[in-house]
Amino acid sequence: MTRQPANDATGTDTPDRGLSGTDLVVRYPGGDDPVIDGESVTVPVGDVTALIGPNGSGKSTLLNALANKHSPADGTVLLDGHTIDELGSKELARRLGLLSQENVTPGGISVRELVERGRYPHQGFFDSLTDADRAAVTDALRVAGVDHLSGRDVGSLSGGQKQLVWIAMALAQDTDVLLLDEPTTFLDPHHQLEVMDIIQALRDDHDTTVVVVLHDINQAARYADHVIALKDGTIHARGQPADVVTKETLRTVFDIEATVSTTSHGMQVVPIEALHDEDGTDHEHAPGSRTPTRETAADGGTPPAE
Amino acid sequence: MTANTDASATRRLATLAAGSLLVVLAATLLQVSFGAYPIPIADAWHTVFDPEIWSSAGVWRTFLLGGQLPEWLSRRQVVVWNIRLPRILVGTLVGANLAVSGAIFQIVTRNELASPYILGVSNGAGMVVLLTLTLFSGLLPVMPLLAALGGAVAFLIVYAIAWKNGTNPVRLVLAGVVVSTVFGSVQRALFFFIDNLGVVMSAQTWLSGSLLGTDWAQVRIALPFTVLSLALAFLVTNELDVLLLGEETAESLGMPVEKVRFGVAGIAILSTAAAIAVAGLIGFVGLIVPHMVRNIVGNDTRDLLAGCVVLGPALLVGADVGARLALDPVQLPVGIITGLVGGPYFLYLMRRTENLGDI
Repeated sequence: MTRQPANDATGTDTPDRGLSGTDLVVRYPGGDDPVIDGESVTVPVGDVTALIGPNGSGKSTLLNALANKHSPADGTVLLDGHTIDELGSKELARRLGLLSQENVTPGGISVRELVERGRYPHQGFFDSLTDADRAAVTDALRVAGVDHLSGRDVGSLSGGQKQLVWIAMALAQDTDVLLLDEPTTFLDPHHQLEVMDIIQALRDDHDTTVVVVLHDINQAARYADHVIALKDGTIHARGQPADVVTKETLRTVFDIEATVSTTSHGMQVVPIEALHDEDGTDHEHAPGSRTPTRETAADGGTPPAE
Repeated sequence: MTANTDASATRRLATLAAGSLLVVLAATLLQVSFGAYPIPIADAWHTVFDPEIWSSAGVWRTFLLGGQLPEWLSRRQVVVWNIRLPRILVGTLVGANLAVSGAIFQIVTRNELASPYILGVSNGAGMVVLLTLTLFSGLLPVMPLLAALGGAVAFLIVYAIAWKNGTNPVRLVLAGVVVSTVFGSVQRALFFFIDNLGVVMSAQTWLSGSLLGTDWAQVRIALPFTVLSLALAFLVTNELDVLLLGEETAESLGMPVEKVRFGVAGIAILSTAAAIAVAGLIGFVGLIVPHMVRNIVGNDTRDLLAGCVVLGPALLVGADVGARLALDPVQLPVGIITGLVGGPYFLYLMRRTENLGDI
């Protein structure tokens, strides 16, 4: 197997550490066109990488391919020098954590019990929790800022609290790489900031490599070290936030007119208006050209790409 | 909602266990005392805890391995120990099996309304029973085992139908409906080939689920499979805990979801088959007991299964008191009583909870 040299600006990768995907082609069953068509990504070790792009651009698909959740039709994913499917499933889960966008929270178990489930990859078949497991759980609860909730029933928490608890569960997995799929999307501003603070703390204090799909361009610009912008399954731009989050990229990738300015709190993107393609390639967004998108999506055969 | 700490869950589990034990004890004394050969409660108590029997290796060998009872037993001892107690013991085993397998199926399908019979097991077993009664009466002596086997085969067919690059809870439940419908129709059609009312009655008794006439032979059939399947169930509580979080999370945590799901469903089927083989198709126990236990001790699988092991027997043995004694001398199948208790309990839950169904 060939190792790709790090193609990011930091260039500090040792080849035996970290996550990268080469020439990835990802298809969904039943879909003709690949959702991701031959892209390569090297995730900078110890940094926060944000994946941004419009709905259906393939952000989540790329994330799931990097986590070996969707086996790519072509291409390889390398984790710490191993192709990802040669690692056993538990071995993989000890090195790489993935938190999905939506999680089903069962009622009737305490926050601490839910977070304890994150130790599953570290446990043997008949094992119960060891002291090391308990310490990792306590640590995860603290880093996610939910230690005060640990005795509460998860079913009784607010949406924002639940998300923090799920993040704590992923932290209890104690992995070097953590992939998060839109962790802030349904949260109120307070919990969005809490989540982004946790991500920063993971990078700064725990040396964790984080890849996060973000819907909010401002969050990506402000918190990420590295931004990858996708459109229609292709990586359109990548690099430091200042190089990627520009007026031009926003216009091509998101079809929006926006201003980008630098404030005392970092970069700020203000979307001004939605652009509509003149040549008709963007039917979905062209007003009046079709029935409402909800109905088109319902009877269209292919699942949405995310 | 109250705080759900581990300590309070353990306390509630202990209360549940104590309550269940009391119910089983009370039901035992009633069952032992009443019947065609009445025994005063005090004498029943003494006979049940008779050290002469508890310490006799010969008697236990007969109970557990079969053979002739020793001559020295009094008539009362025979009635209590050879007729009335084994029925309670079978009820205990069946109740524990149905409750635990119901709990496992509710986790596997992530549906609180799942029962041990959700994946076609009951209709598979039922069809085999009717086939045996109508076409293959030579196989009557091994009918219980054939029925359990029929249930297991139906489960495998359900899995084969549901499989398409893997499976998921909804596909499994739908495949269960498919198989149940077809086998159920065949089963009902077979009734028209029976011209003997006694055979119809025994088929109905079996399909309703009954402990009538169970003795040590049934204990000997059910006990090893019960011990095995319950031991396995408690070994996989970590897996069940993670499975409860949904397939995506389970996969992210490194679980081979398909293998584990098939494995734990197999354990539950073993448990169900042990119950079916000795008592027929007793309904509702496997549905409501896990439900009640979850409301009391929460969703931690170890606590849940432990609660099921104590409450299942309490419910079934308690219901069997009604089945045997309520309309004396007519004995009802216990499955009818559990249905009569289970229906109103669900009505109560429906009124009380808003989102019944999701775990």
